[in-house]
Amino acid sequence: MKDRIPLAPLQKFAWYNLIVFAIAVAAYAIAVPVLAAHFHRTLAAAALPSLGMFGLTGLWGFGSLICDRRKLDERESLINQKAMIAGMLLFWQVWVLSCMGVWAYLSYARHQDVVPVTLLPILVFAGGIIYVVTQAIAILIQYKRSAADDAL
Amino acid sequence: MTPSESAQLKNRIRKLRFEHGEMTQQELADRVGAARQTIIALEAGKYTPSLLLAFRLARVFGVKTEDVFQWNAD
Repeated sequence: MKDRIPLAPLQKFAWYNLIVFAIAVAAYAIAVPVLAAHFHRTLAAAALPSLGMFGLTGLWGFGSLICDRRKLDERESLINQKAMIAGMLLFWQVWVLSCMGVWAYLSYARHQDVVPVTLLPILVFAGGIIYVVTQAIAILIQYKRSAADDAL
Repeated sequence: MTPSESAQLKNRIRKLRFEHGEMTQQELADRVGAARQTIIALEAGKYTPSLLLAFRLARVFGVKTEDVFQWNAD
């Protein structure tokens, strides 16, 4: 029987980040109808305040307790480095496109010259989420590709 | 190193492990200061190690580096 390989700390870190993200998404999905029923009239009106549920992603900060990045070996450091690059690439593209998209939409569709200040933290926060989630997925894919099949 | 060049790099790590008292992947990983997944990737030919790791592996087995790794450039 093939023995099961225990997860490497970097894999645990990636899974932890993805699980926290999934919990935040689930909490958001639950919060929208609940807030709509109690405080707002429509789901659309409750959608923005419900984004507060993504504050749960603050738990990502505990990821450093799962994986001490100073103790990674050379291959793991390389995996981490590539994952960070993938995260940064996607973050930058989506972030710049969304920043310009918001400006273009407001300017051309609504004829507003000013971007609402509430959008800025949402854009920054969404960018951070994209970076962390992409990095986590990239870590797991690289482990899967480099033969440690049982570990994923 | 390109992926095709990397594919030409063969190693005898698995064979050497068994010749050295059926050393486990974890034991070897601990002795060279790497993760077990790294040893697995090396044995599967899916990772090209640094010179330092190659020398460490050779030292654990008490052989020359070229006895562990062979590069068939043709």
